[in-house]
Amino acid sequence: MLKSDRFLAYALILPVVAAVVAFVVGPTYNVATLSLTQVVMGMERGFGTLGNFKALAADPVFGLVLKNTAIWILGGTFLCVTVGLAVGTYLAIDSRMTGWLRALILLPWVLPDVVTAMAWKWMLHGQVGIIGQTLQSSGMTEGTVSFLGDPDLVMWVLVVVLIWRKMPLVALILCAAIRAVPDDQMEAARMDGANAVERFRFVTLPNIAFSLTAVTVISMIWITAEFALPWIMTGGGPANASQIMATYIYQQSFEFFNWGVASAMSVINLVMLASIVALYLYVNRRSWASEGQK
Amino acid sequence: MNEQPRTLYWIFLGFVGLVISLYVLFPVFWLFLASFKTQAELAQLPISFWPESPTLEAYKALFSPTHQKGQLLDWPQLIGNSFFIAISSTVIVLVFGTLAGYAFARLNFPGRDLILGGLLISRMFQGAALLLPTYRLMSMIGLQDSLIGLVLLYSAFGLPFATWIIASSLREIPKELEESAMIDGASRLQSMVMVVLPLATPALITASMWHFVGAWSEFAFASILLESNENKTVTIGLASFVELFTLEFQYVGAAATIVALPIMLVFFFGQRYFTRGLLAGAVKG
Repeated sequence: MLKSDRFLAYALILPVVAAVVAFVVGPTYNVATLSLTQVVMGMERGFGTLGNFKALAADPVFGLVLKNTAIWILGGTFLCVTVGLAVGTYLAIDSRMTGWLRALILLPWVLPDVVTAMAWKWMLHGQVGIIGQTLQSSGMTEGTVSFLGDPDLVMWVLVVVLIWRKMPLVALILCAAIRAVPDDQMEAARMDGANAVERFRFVTLPNIAFSLTAVTVISMIWITAEFALPWIMTGGGPANASQIMATYIYQQSFEFFNWGVASAMSVINLVMLASIVALYLYVNRRSWASEGQK
Repeated sequence: MNEQPRTLYWIFLGFVGLVISLYVLFPVFWLFLASFKTQAELAQLPISFWPESPTLEAYKALFSPTHQKGQLLDWPQLIGNSFFIAISSTVIVLVFGTLAGYAFARLNFPGRDLILGGLLISRMFQGAALLLPTYRLMSMIGLQDSLIGLVLLYSAFGLPFATWIIASSLREIPKELEESAMIDGASRLQSMVMVVLPLATPALITASMWHFVGAWSEFAFASILLESNENKTVTIGLASFVELFTLEFQYVGAAATIVALPIMLVFFFGQRYFTRGLLAGAVKG
């Protein structure tokens, strides 16, 4: 290898590495140190305290935020993957309609969050929303339902919207995995008299197991990072009933200017993300290993 | 299978397909329809499906400096800002992503795979947890409430993925093509620009489409960094309707249509490239 090649390489990657260090690595480090600093009205008053984490733990909303975040991430990921698997299985069928749908289904995925939030807010409107009106006129509910105003309901309604937005990509990835299942295995199972359910369970599922695990972890990362959708739809309300980590961080940072608590919550969020990423790397170790050999 | 169950099977499949298309399209379509309805029609029950007397009033209002809604925010300016941010950061990402992608694909250097892996992992940490430190960083370097600041930020967020997409596609182009160009007397730079890049065009299109869509749609960081009205972007403009309007959903519908339009155009015309990047990107998150 030429020595000049090495210098050229470092020069070529320098802008990218510098940008990531400046805008991702730097801020991550910064928020970590901030969380250990006493902050009063935006002024830093002494490093080396766990006071922010204690204040966060003492915040009566904190427990609620954890519970909502659990519904958001675990409920969201579970539904995203199960619905995605069902839709993906359907999309894997060969026909003109499914081919066309495979292209169309990504639409929710590419639309801006803000547009999605507005579209669903309008459909879920308490008085003139089409979903409430349809349920009422078909006799399934008495009167209208305040989907985003009911503290017991709101988190799950948000999860439904989240599924609309994130499921398509899961479905497409699983569809691609299902279509890559070797035909001869499928044919052999059919010859042995396996019915559709058995073929799915014993041929398809083992073949797509890797994609399924990977897509579960990736969905978890997307859902943990998702902020705009819940924030615009409810702003964490009513009365914090839909407050999740991401919206709580935003609210504490930029509405209440509680930088100490906000940075402590950010660090918890980052640690969570890091654990999921570690899980992802573990699940994906096979493809990372093959990457190095190219 | 005999004839009858077969027909039933296809009818069933068609029905499922119809339900899925409705599920995917309806929320967007419904908001689009609202943009042509009148105030009275939106508030009336039972709900009317098609606009009774379709009107462009909501669109005109947003673009009219004399109308109350048009006065609140200058929509032509918002659209201009969003295009400026999305296009400039796409150009930056494309140029520097190509340079770095070339290094990762073609040159051998210590730490290559580790650095590329680290870049990809950094992509996964760009959520709400970075809002506060980014705000502090931007105010410190004086790029808060500045379009340039947002361009730099989005470029930093988008570069790892673009680099990775471009690097993977360059790896598939045979080295020999480039080497023969160099034997013919071309410099490394010449052979890269004249021989390699034309072959990598699909990857470049994929990377720029992805970045454009992401930059145009971004809301969280724009909303904490941009303060003055003349610097705001379309997503912030649309989100500001939350507090301002209750049943005046024709304006929300019109604004949402404007925000969604460039994305839909990119999506429908670049379908092929889009899915390609998606399936590639999915493997690595």
